[in-house]
Amino acid sequence: MTRHLLPIASRRDTSRLAAALLRTHRWPLLVAAAAFVVAGLAGLVAPWVLGDIVDTVTGDGPTSRVRDGAVLIALAAVVAGVATSLSVTFLAKAGEPALAELREQALDRALHLDSIRLEEAGAGDLLSRMGDDVRAVAQSLTRIIPLLIGSLVAVVFTAGGLFALDWRLGLAGLASAPFYALGLRWYLPRSGPYYRRERIAQGERAEVLVSGLQGASTLRALSREQAQIDRITHHSRHAMTITLDVFRLLTRFGARTNRSELIGLSLVLGTGFLLVRDDLTTVGAVTAAALYFHRLFNPIGALLMIFDDIQSAGASLARLAGVALLDPTPPPREASPVTSGAFELSGISHAYVAGRPVLSHVTLTVADGERVALVGATGAGKSTLGAIAAGLLEPTSGHVRIGGIDLATLDPSHVRAGIALVTQDVHVFSGTVRDNLDLARPGADDTDIRSALATVRALPWVEALPSGLDTVVGDHRHPLTPAQAQQLALARVLLHDPLVAVFDEATAEAGSSGARELEDAATAVTRGRTSLVVAHRLTQAQSADRIVVMHEGRIVEEGSHADLVGAGGRYADLWSAWSSPAADETLTAPRRDL
Amino acid sequence: MPVVPDPPRTAAALLRRGIRRHRGPLLGCYALVTTWLLCEALVPVVIGVIIDRAVATGDAVELATWGGALVLLFAVLSYSYRWGAHLGVGALQLEMHQLRVEVSEHVLGPDGARTGLLPGETLSLATSDAETIGEFLWDVGYTLAGLVGVVLSAVVLFSIDVVLGVVVLVGVPLVLVVIQVVTPLIARHTTDQQAGIATATGFATDLVKGLRPLKGVGAEDVAITRYRRHSASARDASIRTARSVGYMHGLTATLSGLFLALVAWLAGTRALEGSITIGELVAIVGLTQFLAEPIAGLGQTSAQTAQSFASARRVVDFLHTPPLATHGSVVLDDPRPRLEVSSVTTGPLRDLGFAPQAGELVGIVVDDPISSDTLVRLLRGEVPVADRSGGHVMLGGHPVDDLTIDSLRTAVVVSQHHVDLFEGTLRSAIDPDAALDEAELDEVLSASAAGDVVALHPDGLQQPVTAGAATFSGGQRQRIALARALATRAPILVLQDPTSAVDAMTEQRIADGVRRLRHHTGSERTTVVITSSPAILAVADRVLMIGEGRLLASGTHHGLALRDDYRETVLR
Repeated sequence: MTRHLLPIASRRDTSRLAAALLRTHRWPLLVAAAAFVVAGLAGLVAPWVLGDIVDTVTGDGPTSRVRDGAVLIALAAVVAGVATSLSVTFLAKAGEPALAELREQALDRALHLDSIRLEEAGAGDLLSRMGDDVRAVAQSLTRIIPLLIGSLVAVVFTAGGLFALDWRLGLAGLASAPFYALGLRWYLPRSGPYYRRERIAQGERAEVLVSGLQGASTLRALSREQAQIDRITHHSRHAMTITLDVFRLLTRFGARTNRSELIGLSLVLGTGFLLVRDDLTTVGAVTAAALYFHRLFNPIGALLMIFDDIQSAGASLARLAGVALLDPTPPPREASPVTSGAFELSGISHAYVAGRPVLSHVTLTVADGERVALVGATGAGKSTLGAIAAGLLEPTSGHVRIGGIDLATLDPSHVRAGIALVTQDVHVFSGTVRDNLDLARPGADDTDIRSALATVRALPWVEALPSGLDTVVGDHRHPLTPAQAQQLALARVLLHDPLVAVFDEATAEAGSSGARELEDAATAVTRGRTSLVVAHRLTQAQSADRIVVMHEGRIVEEGSHADLVGAGGRYADLWSAWSSPAADETLTAPRRDL
Repeated sequence: MPVVPDPPRTAAALLRRGIRRHRGPLLGCYALVTTWLLCEALVPVVIGVIIDRAVATGDAVELATWGGALVLLFAVLSYSYRWGAHLGVGALQLEMHQLRVEVSEHVLGPDGARTGLLPGETLSLATSDAETIGEFLWDVGYTLAGLVGVVLSAVVLFSIDVVLGVVVLVGVPLVLVVIQVVTPLIARHTTDQQAGIATATGFATDLVKGLRPLKGVGAEDVAITRYRRHSASARDASIRTARSVGYMHGLTATLSGLFLALVAWLAGTRALEGSITIGELVAIVGLTQFLAEPIAGLGQTSAQTAQSFASARRVVDFLHTPPLATHGSVVLDDPRPRLEVSSVTTGPLRDLGFAPQAGELVGIVVDDPISSDTLVRLLRGEVPVADRSGGHVMLGGHPVDDLTIDSLRTAVVVSQHHVDLFEGTLRSAIDPDAALDEAELDEVLSASAAGDVVALHPDGLQQPVTAGAATFSGGQRQRIALARALATRAPILVLQDPTSAVDAMTEQRIADGVRRLRHHTGSERTTVVITSSPAILAVADRVLMIGEGRLLASGTHHGLALRDDYRETVLR
């Protein structure tokens, strides 16, 4: 199921944005344009002079005229060289900064998208815009755009050159244009869908390859490896078949281009033959015209072949512009009005699907600095309540207040400054351990970072890394276990130092042998801080100030661990099942200081 | 299992194999592409002839004759490229496909491969390296055609005028050599540029992937500031590249223009002297321009060949990495073999021994993740004898290393903590071979508490599972994986942390469910669960406690709960 809830800019908006970005680099752009024109003009000199040489030869002219012509070609060559060099350089000087601004603006808007919208849109779409589309536009700027402009200039000027030689020769050359257009009209509607199918097939191929490579160990354990190899073979063969079909289409288009070239060349030569016979033009002019037309083969071919690339680069640009043109989030003018971590959920009800409520009239007040654990079976509504408390989800009805202020009226950045959220989504940011941490507090010094790491029990292993804090971690570099990654996430919360911390099963991804460390770390982070911990293990609940037991979207029990165990309700049942008779001793044993 | 011939031992052998196994289509391709290139060279020659014999003379018969020749030339040119390219691209695409499958088969073979590569690196072998190797097949053809094209042009030029022939054949390569000298500089800049864009893009996608943790601590603006730095350096690298590309294009335009001026002067003078015709003048000029292309192609061939060899070497090295599991040829005929680990020392494990009985549910409590993983690899038969000092792992009276891989895997199924789910439906994820009937499937679903996951979606068991199963939560993924493990009905099932992401109530249901499904009265199935979950340990017949790699204690959960160190690990 792919959803495209992120906007795609219209052609007009895209051009307007491109123009606005380029406007700030007007001078390099003008230099580039002038250089393209000069290079195009200089390119006309050689065939013209060669035509003149032919006339000189047929008319038995002086040797000096041949020499002068050669000198002219040489001069034009130098001019063309300088202009070409300038055109490429200055196009980049105008285009690259504009592109950089575009991608920075797009990422800025993307990261500031409000969480609710982002969850709905899914990360996949955003990921492909910030990855594939940025790459596609960058490549088109360095490869396709200069080729496009250069070829267009060459085609237009050469056509002009044909007319300048003789208007009838010009018309003869121009008569080939409809044939090229017909070829393009035949090709484009066919190629678009093919290229899309090719991209999809290659995407599927990469997906089965990656899932096979990543899951190799599981596949072997279950004796399923042959099935995956068969799937890879199938998808690889399928992608190959489409690629070959696309290529076949391309060569058929190539044949149509050849046909147009032949028609054009024949028309120029045939017209030239008639004109020379009737003494309306010279052999030299016909030679120049034929050479002009022959010279057009490459730029016209290039233009036709890059048509698809231009279309897909345009689509990428529109998708990127769609994100970049989202409303910017202005930084809040005042400091956050929230000064207390007192936290209140009142009358919260929520239904993802109308008529099927997940939460019904939940009211929960958490005092400043109090630690509350949410306990309940899967489907009890714990995570939904956690997401609402963190401002990630807007409840169907009810209010969330922090320090007495309704979340709905707060600036999003103040919500984030006040409430930190750690979920079970484990992610290690590519970069050093330090980069991973000072994201939450830019400019944090080593003392801050080490103390945060010590609190979450991560300092020993971080110091044991090859370069300590400066070890590069993340994808393809030094791998971290999920438990270690979550320790870093918890250390980030410490550095961020919010009034309220919401943990939604933040310790769930650790294996059993890493879980204890992580739970200790989570407990340490919540010390002295208002916190709401969605607990999937009762040990986490045990150490909380208050435990809230949820069942089918309602709060059914509330109290301290000892109270609830004593009360003999749902929690007590759970606890006895969990801990077995012998565990009663841990209740009477002195509580370890956590 | 099909007999797979040994992969080639050297990069050259791998490339040779590529050409050999597609020799039929490639031979046709090379012949046709050569024909096409020659026709391209002849176009300016024929233009010259038409001007010379028809336009300059007004001879309509000559016009018709040579016009017909031009049409014929274009027909041959067009068709030879089209069919030559079909054959060639067909062969190279097939080669790429075969390499992709070969790479996948090596990692995914029953024995596995100790490659030491990350999935991303293996993916790049199967995609970009396979493509570079495939393109070698085309490069060979283009090089051959280019050489023939140069030779033929030389013949034509020399037949027109020896001096001009020498000038063109010396001059064109000379100009290209000068350009080649500056090319490495551009290649380096281009690499910098690509690396710059890749870094910036990688940084951005990494931020988007980690958007939830990022937003959780309000670090969006810090992240943007860091991205701007990467973006700016990518921009600067691109501008530097553009500058050097600009120099090269400028230099190419200047040098080829200057050379053309020289040829025009020489040929013009000769034509004035009457030693060559106007048509020959046009042909010389046309050939001068044509020659630049194949010669430039030949210049680039060396770089491309070097790349193909580098890719081929990587693939060859990869295909020769040793297998992960060693196995023998003994086929186990005992359907309920006994597993016995005795005094094994490997990695962090010290003198470890245990032997689960038929019908027994054994819980193992391990204090550190590395010991846990090592134990799992040991039971999978993936710790080679060389890595063990003493002890042995026996299955049905045979050392596991002597058994065939299928014997071992049929008897012992190991489900790791890390969950991998594969694309398909929920049903195919749990029971890929459709071996269970509805009632059996229901039993498995209820024992693993995966029934909840089925019930949540209107399509139930038919709901789609995407690659990576991103639509499921960690707890849901874990329950699906548990259901899949239970569905194998293996005589000996090893589960590593099957409930770490599951809530306490569900964990209790799973503990009871596994007990009910696999250890009802009269059942001879054995289950080994590595866990610290009190719910599961409480239903185990026996619990082993491993600390610092040694077996510290053995008993029931209730009995062990009297030990401080056990409570410390399990109960707290």
